[in-house]
Amino acid sequence: MSQSKLALYALLLELSALLQLVMTHSTSDLVFASFMATHAIASAAVASLALLLLPSHLTRSAQVDWLFFFSMVLCVPLLGFCGVMIGLLVAPLLPRPNREAALHTLGLPELDPHENHDPARFRQAGLRHFLRNTRAPIDLRLKALITLQHAPVQFASPVLHDMLADASEDLRLLAYGMLESREKQLNADIREARLARQAAPDVATRRAAERQLATLYWELIYQGLVHGDLRRHAAEESLRFLEQALQDEQGADAGPHLLRGRLLQELGRNEEAEGAYRQSVEHGLPAPRVLPYLAELAFARRDFAEVMRLLGELRAYPDQPRLQPVLRLWGLT
Amino acid sequence: MKGEEDFPKATEADVALLLEGTFPYVSGGVSSWVNQIIRAFPEIRFALVFLGSRREDYGKPKYALPDNVVHLETHFLHDSLGSRAADIVASKGDPLAFARVVALHEIFHQNGRTDLAASDTLAAELMLGNDVLAESDFLHSEEAWGFITASYRRFCADPSFVDYFWTVRIMHQPLWTLARVAKELIPVRALHSVSTGYAGFLGSLLARSRGLPLILSEHGIYTKERKIDLYQSEWISDNRNIFQRDASELSHFRTMWIHFFEWLGRMCYASADPIIALYETNRLRQISDGALPERTSNIPNGVAIARLTPLREKRSEAIPKVLCLIGRVVPIKDIKTFIRAMRILVNRDPEAEGWIAGPQDEDPDYARECNDLVDSLGLTDKVKFLGFQKIDDLMPRIGLVVLSSISEALPLVILEGYAAGVPTLATDVGSCRQLVYGLDAEDQALGASGRVVGIANPQALAEAAIDLLQPDNWHAAQAAGIARVEKYYADHMMFDRYREIYETALQRSSQSATPDSPGQPMRCPIHGHAPTGKGDAWPA
Repeated sequence: MSQSKLALYALLLELSALLQLVMTHSTSDLVFASFMATHAIASAAVASLALLLLPSHLTRSAQVDWLFFFSMVLCVPLLGFCGVMIGLLVAPLLPRPNREAALHTLGLPELDPHENHDPARFRQAGLRHFLRNTRAPIDLRLKALITLQHAPVQFASPVLHDMLADASEDLRLLAYGMLESREKQLNADIREARLARQAAPDVATRRAAERQLATLYWELIYQGLVHGDLRRHAAEESLRFLEQALQDEQGADAGPHLLRGRLLQELGRNEEAEGAYRQSVEHGLPAPRVLPYLAELAFARRDFAEVMRLLGELRAYPDQPRLQPVLRLWGLT
Repeated sequence: MKGEEDFPKATEADVALLLEGTFPYVSGGVSSWVNQIIRAFPEIRFALVFLGSRREDYGKPKYALPDNVVHLETHFLHDSLGSRAADIVASKGDPLAFARVVALHEIFHQNGRTDLAASDTLAAELMLGNDVLAESDFLHSEEAWGFITASYRRFCADPSFVDYFWTVRIMHQPLWTLARVAKELIPVRALHSVSTGYAGFLGSLLARSRGLPLILSEHGIYTKERKIDLYQSEWISDNRNIFQRDASELSHFRTMWIHFFEWLGRMCYASADPIIALYETNRLRQISDGALPERTSNIPNGVAIARLTPLREKRSEAIPKVLCLIGRVVPIKDIKTFIRAMRILVNRDPEAEGWIAGPQDEDPDYARECNDLVDSLGLTDKVKFLGFQKIDDLMPRIGLVVLSSISEALPLVILEGYAAGVPTLATDVGSCRQLVYGLDAEDQALGASGRVVGIANPQALAEAAIDLLQPDNWHAAQAAGIARVEKYYADHMMFDRYREIYETALQRSSQSATPDSPGQPMRCPIHGHAPTGKGDAWPA
């Protein structure tokens, strides 16, 4: 049966039910029963029509929907019929709700290897990276920082300096305390050496104290405890004491000359630095100790052929694992 | 200045101020604040309880006592450590009391995840009941020995029992001194502690035993400052060898001390109401350390603007190239970073000078290190240690107030500088950023009254000084500083808040019954009986 036919039957049935009631003017049970029977058939027809016409997005369950429309039309004669019919005419014209709008696009969650509270995990992720991760629990970051107290100073210092700017005050203060204690020890040694120099009874003792002072100031640089202008100041002081120590030493060993070369290079006096390196070799220092620095100086003056030559000499000394990556980069392995 | 025998004594007072290592013996920001507060309320009779480490660590009082200080008593917690052989009496110890000690430490070892309030009550009862856990029992009883050796075996990660034993003793013994102070203090109506720590613990004991209101005003965060000391201290040993050591753990004794101070702080927070911080970050820190949020609030410091304003007129037209660090020569002020920054600054501008205005007697070793650093950096004619100076003499002669501290709260000296027309160069600690750049949008609109740099960064400090000493920048910062201090940090604002707090506390005190005030001693918390015998002591 077509939908229009069903609608027409429903309309006729509802009208005939009403006409029975209006035209007979009787209050007999028979008339009322006849009205109810016709009205119930009309209600069933409307409910069936509604199931056919209702847009799919408005339906839930066929039985429940049918029962709902049937009850509405049955319980509210005429008005219920009119209401449902109007509803069925209007429903297809209403805009469909945009169900997709309820869904949101989420970004991929970032992989954070530190959110696992297993204290062993930060070792896997790398200490420096772990310490920088502000989402990692503070207690674990504190533990990670504490492990640096046993790390070589020259590796720990840059990390500790980074931590001075951390958002967590506890981390900042611990990093500060660790740096301060290292620097404090060196400064105490510098003080001792200065006093020893002042009180030196003879030139030899004085020169020894100066050599020690030069080494201690260099340690401030080597351990990464001084930066900027203070690094330069430490280099100048170290060089000053070293040159005093060397001024009347005849046949000094190679070490001070190598240190002098490093200091001169630090201060940007590269030509003098090269001379000092060569002097250290003349005083017996094995060539591989000096070749990397000479290569650095050659690189600084953009003499790449010389860099290749110097690094090429290093190939003869394969026991320097830290230089192997450099040699590989220059295609020398 | 008066000697100790001339200190005022009274039979009662209104407010007991509990002071640890500060006014009147130590000069500094907190002491100035205490002096300010006492003088602001001449109608209140104050009793001062000063707690120090050892008598020999302090000289004469640094401040004249205001007239309304009616009582001052001093106690040195580390003077009484150890015992004379003649005083040692062997005893078994009270098993009931030590059972409570065990229960208390079980709570601590569960990392505070259990009933913290119960642990605080337990501790207070153990300390306050007369002879419940007598000091002599802690020092010499078999029960104490048994407890210490068992704890060592169970918990101590350091192999040295000797170090463990003495750490336990040194750590705990001052608590009995504090319990004695709590019992013997004259009657007062309210308590005001200026820190947690030992003073806060004393406040907690007094508040619990006498039913008195305890006000806590924290400037720095005591527990945090003790941690800084402990991280840097060299006297705490670590006897673990390479196989025993866990690289990610501090030495056991260092950790013990940190936990001990955390516990002292928590005891104080549990008893104090209100709990006052100087600024929001510290208030949040108090909450994370155990303070109830509803008891906390902020009251910033304030300065006497009218007294300092005339100093602006005394300034010369030219901006003095003098950077002045006003503060004690102690590690927390990181004087060394200031000295290093001066080396950089003098390299760039040979006319620049650095002054350090503050006493050097609090930490003589550190002061010597600072002097050595000045020598080592060749700054003897450029960096001067002036000792304690009057602000009125100093301010007109300096160009910048510098603070290179690694930890601060809300430094009065910055506010005094602003009021006297001197901008500030400070590290990014405490509320310095708020004081320099402003707190809310309205405050920030006043402009920057100086510069803020990271801690322990002499290069940044020197470069910021060079920038700030440019005449245009300096004058703008000066104007912003004056506007900021006048609008937000006048002392009358702070006094109004404290007047309200004192009135409420004194009112609460007179309304509440005081079941355990002197004259009505506590019942023995363990055995439950009333005191008998002489005085209010329980029989042994």
